[in-house]
Amino acid sequence: MWHRSASFILDKNQNDTVYPADSVTLTPPPPSISTPQNPNPNLNRNMSMSAYYQTRAAHHGVVTSDWLAQSQEAATRAVATGGQEIVDGGKSGRAFSVIDEFNNWRKQPDLAEAVAAIRALAAVIRNSEAKTMMELEIELKKASDSLKSWDTTSISLTAGCDLFMRYVTRTSALEYEDFNSARSRLIERAEKFGEISYKARKIIAMLSQDFIFDGCTILVHGFSRVVMEVLKMAAQNKKLFRVLCTEGRPDRSGLRLANELAKLDVPVKLLIDSAVAYTMDEVDMVFVGADGVVESGGIINMMGTYQIALVAHSMNKPVYVAAESYKFARLYPLDQKDMGPALRPIDFGVPIPSKVEVETSARDYTPPQYLTLLFTDLGVLTPSVVSDELIQLYL
Amino acid sequence: MPDTQALVNDFLNKLKKRKIEGSQATARQTAELLRSVISQQRMPYTNQAGALIDAVKAVGEQLIAANPVELAVGNIVRRVLHIIREEDLSLTTAAIGGLNLSAVSDDENDDDRDGDSTLSAAAVAAAARSTLRPPSLQTLLEDTPVSAAVPQTSSSGGDSEGKSKSADKSSRSRKLKHDVIEAVNELIQDIVTCHEQIAEQAVEHIHQNEVILTLGSSRTVLEFLFAAKEKKRSFRVFVAEGAPRYQGHLLAKELVARGLQTTLITDSAVFAMISRVNMVIVGAHAVMANGGVIAPVGMNLVALAAQKHAVPFVVLAGSHKLCPLYPHNPEVLLNELRSPSELLDFGEFSDCMDFGSGSGSPLLHVVNPAFDYVPPKLVSLFITDTGGHNPSYMYRLIADYYSADDLVVQRRATAGN
Repeated sequence: MWHRSASFILDKNQNDTVYPADSVTLTPPPPSISTPQNPNPNLNRNMSMSAYYQTRAAHHGVVTSDWLAQSQEAATRAVATGGQEIVDGGKSGRAFSVIDEFNNWRKQPDLAEAVAAIRALAAVIRNSEAKTMMELEIELKKASDSLKSWDTTSISLTAGCDLFMRYVTRTSALEYEDFNSARSRLIERAEKFGEISYKARKIIAMLSQDFIFDGCTILVHGFSRVVMEVLKMAAQNKKLFRVLCTEGRPDRSGLRLANELAKLDVPVKLLIDSAVAYTMDEVDMVFVGADGVVESGGIINMMGTYQIALVAHSMNKPVYVAAESYKFARLYPLDQKDMGPALRPIDFGVPIPSKVEVETSARDYTPPQYLTLLFTDLGVLTPSVVSDELIQLYL
Repeated sequence: MPDTQALVNDFLNKLKKRKIEGSQATARQTAELLRSVISQQRMPYTNQAGALIDAVKAVGEQLIAANPVELAVGNIVRRVLHIIREEDLSLTTAAIGGLNLSAVSDDENDDDRDGDSTLSAAAVAAAARSTLRPPSLQTLLEDTPVSAAVPQTSSSGGDSEGKSKSADKSSRSRKLKHDVIEAVNELIQDIVTCHEQIAEQAVEHIHQNEVILTLGSSRTVLEFLFAAKEKKRSFRVFVAEGAPRYQGHLLAKELVARGLQTTLITDSAVFAMISRVNMVIVGAHAVMANGGVIAPVGMNLVALAAQKHAVPFVVLAGSHKLCPLYPHNPEVLLNELRSPSELLDFGEFSDCMDFGSGSGSPLLHVVNPAFDYVPPKLVSLFITDTGGHNPSYMYRLIADYYSADDLVVQRRATAGN
């Protein structure tokens, strides 16, 4: 419990004393002046943005210009720290860096994080000079470890690396006597993974169609490609349904979803995040995506998912999760603070005094008892199946 | 095949007119019908499994359409399809094994067909096996999940046809059919004996001087209680009568005839009596993939009462009742509205239900649903012929009994209805 330990508070105090110049007056300046020229100075103080959410913001976020500037600033810092890691990883003397490769792949907006990870690992295989399977495995292990440690906040990155490593160790050595053909097969499979991921979304959309009935009202939270696919297919199938979109603060990704749904002529209504309980009684089902599905069957998703699930549970509404199976991760969080936080700057519109602490964690953990079903490319699963699948794979 | 067609039509009629009572009888008769369909099916030289699957599927779709509420029909059709796939596969792997031993040249030929010159026969077999398994994380990166997840009719049949080219064709064709029929016979045997297998577990669950509550009548429950009694357990049974069909009365009579201490109560008295009850044991109409139960009407009330008083709610279900579908809107889609005559006497109420009076539509309406949906969180334990299971474990049993291909195909078929 790192966050509750005394040393943590000590660290924090030290940090505060290091940055005394940042303190801001309690009276907020008139907003007309503050918003254009003063993008929350204290936000840039002692927090960096999680790389995972940087990408998400770039891909999904509807962000205000000043917020973008902030995140860019945070991004440059993150890249700088990333660069350090590359130097660390560069001890082996190769010019090729798996992290650069990963970042290149990650820039594509339609590519899932896990796909980028697996493509990066495929590039490792391609660039490797290993002569035996064992050598290649060790090299891959190193690459995947450095990739994982580079961004510990991204669950699908970790899950993707683990899945691919598992595939390499489990199958390749058994089936092929010839090293080169095994190698080319690994590369081929890794490159197909993008397709697998794309297909997974289609399968999930297909599976969930039975659950969307005419005249239903669906609440969605934030932007998720899978959920978008589900709703898109439902609209194509001429289902009549209404969507309530939460705003999805702070990156306001819900706005983007609402936008895209409006383009499909789906009736859509925007809510502020705090209006979920108010509107829950007209909702028939809640649909959310997931950053990661953990071993308990619970999900880790954008901040606010937990409270939506709690409200839905207390009003007896089903909560459906749409997530590709490569997001299944070997984690077992016991409570909200059990994982390293993924930080994300929040734009409050006004400067926040330095003495005020800001909760910048970007995601929360929703325990399995609040989820009804998971739609995955492995089928429609109850939360308890997730651990079963993971055990089968990693045991 | 005029004779099978006549049989099928006869059975379809019975299903449509709801002449067959109970899911066990339906399941058994469906299996018997499919067995005769298979035995009458002419076997082509190539892709035999595919031909069998198509034949069974064609009949199966008609049967499911005839009574979509009786899920046992669909279950048995899927089970038979799964059996065909399994038998075909075991023959294929055996054939490949034989080829491997006999001739190297043949082996290479075999590999070319698969488009990958390095793939060994063992790998082919492993890949083929995984088409039967439901898609899983393990196979996500391999080639197979693509074909397993996207329904492709008789993909395994197509493969096997190529591989067996050097095997003795005529003997193999007879073998496949023979094996399938054998396996269907086993399935029928399982359905017939499921009561006994469930009843065997009775002593583990019913203890001395306990009070058991049940609702309506179920042969499985009767056998279960009686099996405990035979093992010299003495206990009391409360039977809720199960309005509007009052099958509880029949159960009470049977229990008394077999020497059990029985108390008959009305359905509305369940909540009053539940605090004295140690365990609720009921039968089911069908068990869905999420562990939810479709059961005779009134069951949800009993389940809620049991939950309120923390009384274990145990559901007995033969494996033919396990349905691989998820309930969407079960109160409406998986329910059947029965005749109002079970509630009311027509003679007395004919005035109120007269279409000629006043506005043209009767003032009195009668709704008589046959089933209740009990959500999985209210069920403590399922007892099937393979043992006791948690509701969340149901999907696993289903994965054993059905192949993923069939679920999707049948779902499309049922959606078409």
